[in-house]
Amino acid sequence: MHTEQSDQKPRPEPAADVLAQLRGVYKRFGQIEALRGVDLAIHQGEVVALLGPNGAGKTTTISILLGVRRPDRGEARLFGHPPHLPQSRRNVGATPQDTGFPGALTVSEVVELVRTHYPQPLPTAAVLERFGLLDLGHRQTGGLSGGQKRRMAVALAFTGNPRAVFLDEPTTGLDVEARHGLWAVIRGYVHDGGTVLLTTHNMDEAEALASRVVVLDHGQILTEGSVDAIRARVQLTRVRFQAEGLPQLPGIVQIEQENRLYTLYTTDADALVRDLVREGVAFAGLEVRPVTLEEAFLNLTRGVV
Amino acid sequence: MKILWAHVKADLLSLQRRPMSVFPGLIAPGLLFLFIGVPNARDQTAANWFMTAMTVFAVLGITFFQFGVAIAAARSSPWELTLRTLPLAPGVRFAARVLVALVVALATVGVMVSLALLLTPAGLAFAGWLRWGVALLLGSMPLALLGIAMGYWAPPTAAAPVANLLYLVLAYAGGLWTPPSQLPHLVAQISPYLPTRRYAEVVWAPMRGQAWPVEDWLWLLGYTAAFGVLAIWGYQRDEGERFR
Repeated sequence: MHTEQSDQKPRPEPAADVLAQLRGVYKRFGQIEALRGVDLAIHQGEVVALLGPNGAGKTTTISILLGVRRPDRGEARLFGHPPHLPQSRRNVGATPQDTGFPGALTVSEVVELVRTHYPQPLPTAAVLERFGLLDLGHRQTGGLSGGQKRRMAVALAFTGNPRAVFLDEPTTGLDVEARHGLWAVIRGYVHDGGTVLLTTHNMDEAEALASRVVVLDHGQILTEGSVDAIRARVQLTRVRFQAEGLPQLPGIVQIEQENRLYTLYTTDADALVRDLVREGVAFAGLEVRPVTLEEAFLNLTRGVV
Repeated sequence: MKILWAHVKADLLSLQRRPMSVFPGLIAPGLLFLFIGVPNARDQTAANWFMTAMTVFAVLGITFFQFGVAIAAARSSPWELTLRTLPLAPGVRFAARVLVALVVALATVGVMVSLALLLTPAGLAFAGWLRWGVALLLGSMPLALLGIAMGYWAPPTAAAPVANLLYLVLAYAGGLWTPPSQLPHLVAQISPYLPTRRYAEVVWAPMRGQAWPVEDWLWLLGYTAAFGVLAIWGYQRDEGERFR
């Protein structure tokens, strides 16, 4: 499997611009090959969304970049240094996939503890305020709701005022309002020069935030590029209409049928519509639009294209 | 240094707010001392014996539960995983764990000794107390390392049962519940080869006003080396719970 650079605006790649990098990384857990030759570079100012089905290797990728796990083969670099050295992590903050804090400590106490590790952390009050935790500062973390805990886990990634944050499914378990609030914080952080690597199952999130999307599947990078480039890569159009039946037609990649509602994915929507008319299909409510990132992603990981 | 202190403070604060988590290590030796030690401590020699045996038993519990079970639990805990993403040297986190265990041990020993002094005729001369304390601290090294090794080798779910089993077997066969001379024949044969027995011997010596038993110290040194290797090996192969 190979990696293509298909961003619309080609970017010069001086090494100083690369904050984190994997080169030919393999990682195996028992029988499972979690990563099979992954090359990835995170550049200053990017928001990279790592997409892929469960077990694709997203979390392993992040743990290796953070030095929590070591590659079996290949090389990882964080700010030019091996990530397992603690000092390499001084400029990065992280939110792991699973949330948990010492239950008897208060929100402020945990933030203070995390601040201690960084040379120039944000003030505790600023962290709490930015993530809507100001009223919860004195509460023991054991008493927080799931959503509050998740917001706090994300807040800790930003506490050290780092140059980059790695967020593993940051908005899982958050309601729409909290999710949008977090997106705003991330956008503000990037606007101020920050760099973000995030994994998500939510394609809206990738569409809303990502400057680059990397699709992982079975431990390999399937494709990468901007959101538009990924959609263009798939080169599919979705054609949807209601009809009583459908004859055999050429150029259809995939058909989904729900009662009278047909959803077709095709590489040439114009030809398909002409065929429908020529075949005398009595369709109603015709709708033609490019695929969403989610549809492109599903088609990619199912190996349809 | 600042980071080490922050972790010690946070851990002690957690313990202080949830004191129940310290009790399990205190309950078994404390109750045994109250129900068996106190009625049988007719003279100072007997009282000193029970006080010492039960204190060694309590320290054994701390090494197994503060290190063994706690480390195994930490390997699958999301918070410890979060700590691994911070610019935090693993040695510092570990040192904090040791310091906190020392504080817990000090409190536990304090409770046991206070019970003994209040309820029995136990007592030592000043120099005796000093040597008793030194032996208690140094002799616990191999057991602490065994606890650490267990924490890194046992799967998180198996750590507590394994620790409990070893804890009881090593305490009984090491002669901490009944004087070694009263152990059943077969157990008495095995007893001298156990780290708990050698540990108890080096603490009993100052209690009896005897010289340091060199042979016991050498055995403990050997155990320290062996369990130390196991602990370091276990630590190096550990990357947290192993899946995904």
